[in-house]
Amino acid sequence: MMKTEDLIGILAADSVPPPMLRPKRIAGLVLVVMAVAVTLFLWSFGIRDSVAQAMMQPQVAAKTLLPLALCAIALPFALVQMRPGAAQVVRLRWLAVPLGVAAGLWLWAFVTLPPEARFVEVSPFSLTECLGLISGLSLLPLGVLLLMMRRGASAAPMRAGAMAGLGVAGGIAAGYSLFCVMDNPLFYVTWYGVAIAAITALGAVAGGWLLRW
Amino acid sequence: MTSREAEWSALLRAAMEGDGRAYARFLVLVTPVLRGIVPARGWALGPEGQEDVVQEVLIAIHTKRHTWDQSAALLPWLYAVTRHKVVDAFRRRGASVHLPIDDYADVLEAEAVPDALAVRDSAVLIGQLDARSAAIVRAVSLDGQSTAEVGARLQMSEGAVRVALHRAIQRMARLAKGME
Repeated sequence: MMKTEDLIGILAADSVPPPMLRPKRIAGLVLVVMAVAVTLFLWSFGIRDSVAQAMMQPQVAAKTLLPLALCAIALPFALVQMRPGAAQVVRLRWLAVPLGVAAGLWLWAFVTLPPEARFVEVSPFSLTECLGLISGLSLLPLGVLLLMMRRGASAAPMRAGAMAGLGVAGGIAAGYSLFCVMDNPLFYVTWYGVAIAAITALGAVAGGWLLRW
Repeated sequence: MTSREAEWSALLRAAMEGDGRAYARFLVLVTPVLRGIVPARGWALGPEGQEDVVQEVLIAIHTKRHTWDQSAALLPWLYAVTRHKVVDAFRRRGASVHLPIDDYADVLEAEAVPDALAVRDSAVLIGQLDARSAAIVRAVSLDGQSTAEVGARLQMSEGAVRVALHRAIQRMARLAKGME
């Protein structure tokens, strides 16, 4: 039997202060894990030939910049979510910008490419490679991020987890794009999109479970 | 800045530097405010259920106190933690919130005597701890002994008592969110 006054006594006796939450340190650590994963991958499989030259083409640059933008919006959002009542510095509506550009690119490619060239890159191998590597490389950083986010207190655990997944998968996809030679937006918008969406969903499910408090 | 913000944030800041007395004062000040908030949403739980929710909020404030950004205001943090735990508590109790119609009169009557809340006991959390943890928790709370005194009595070092107490609270926090 416990009175609330007794509980207060117990809590006050547990007075050794816990280390403060440091979202920036968590951000730094997860960025390092993501960078290591991408670097190891690129070091093993190689960066595409003449990457700088390819990047001069807008639709190739977009393949890197769009997922990077998702990462830059979703990751800070997830980290700020760790503090209850904190004012959001990043608004999720900004996600509409990269998503809108991606949809526009997809439509533009669909209209300008001849029908036989639209989905020519799609093959079991290319899909396995793209989906498997983006999602596979995302798993460890996402796990690290979610475990560190458990010290926080997200008022909406599924949303926080989803944004963690989106942030990680966006960053990993941006790194992966330096290897990937599929420059057709019909390919990469679709399949990067599927991989990123899958990791976002995984983050939401895992977040709903791990980030409850 | 309100005086409550100034006073409470000073107390919690001191608590976060290890001042147990300031921490107890902070929790004592917060509790009546929680007792005002909880019945507004959870009158159907009855006074006992409401006090359980108050205790769950206090435990959440305790286990998540490191998430307060000390350079920001305290009250928005405190209200966000409280809101989350209250909503969560009622969501989990969803099914049991529906009381038979005859009980409503009792609930309303009990609400008219707010002092009854303070003297009520809760077996929900502490009752589920293992015997040794419960003994430590009881000694600290009911007998008002310091962790050093409890350690001497149970032939444990003060550090071991502190660790056991800390774990017991973490366990109660998990019990309170229905994870064990």
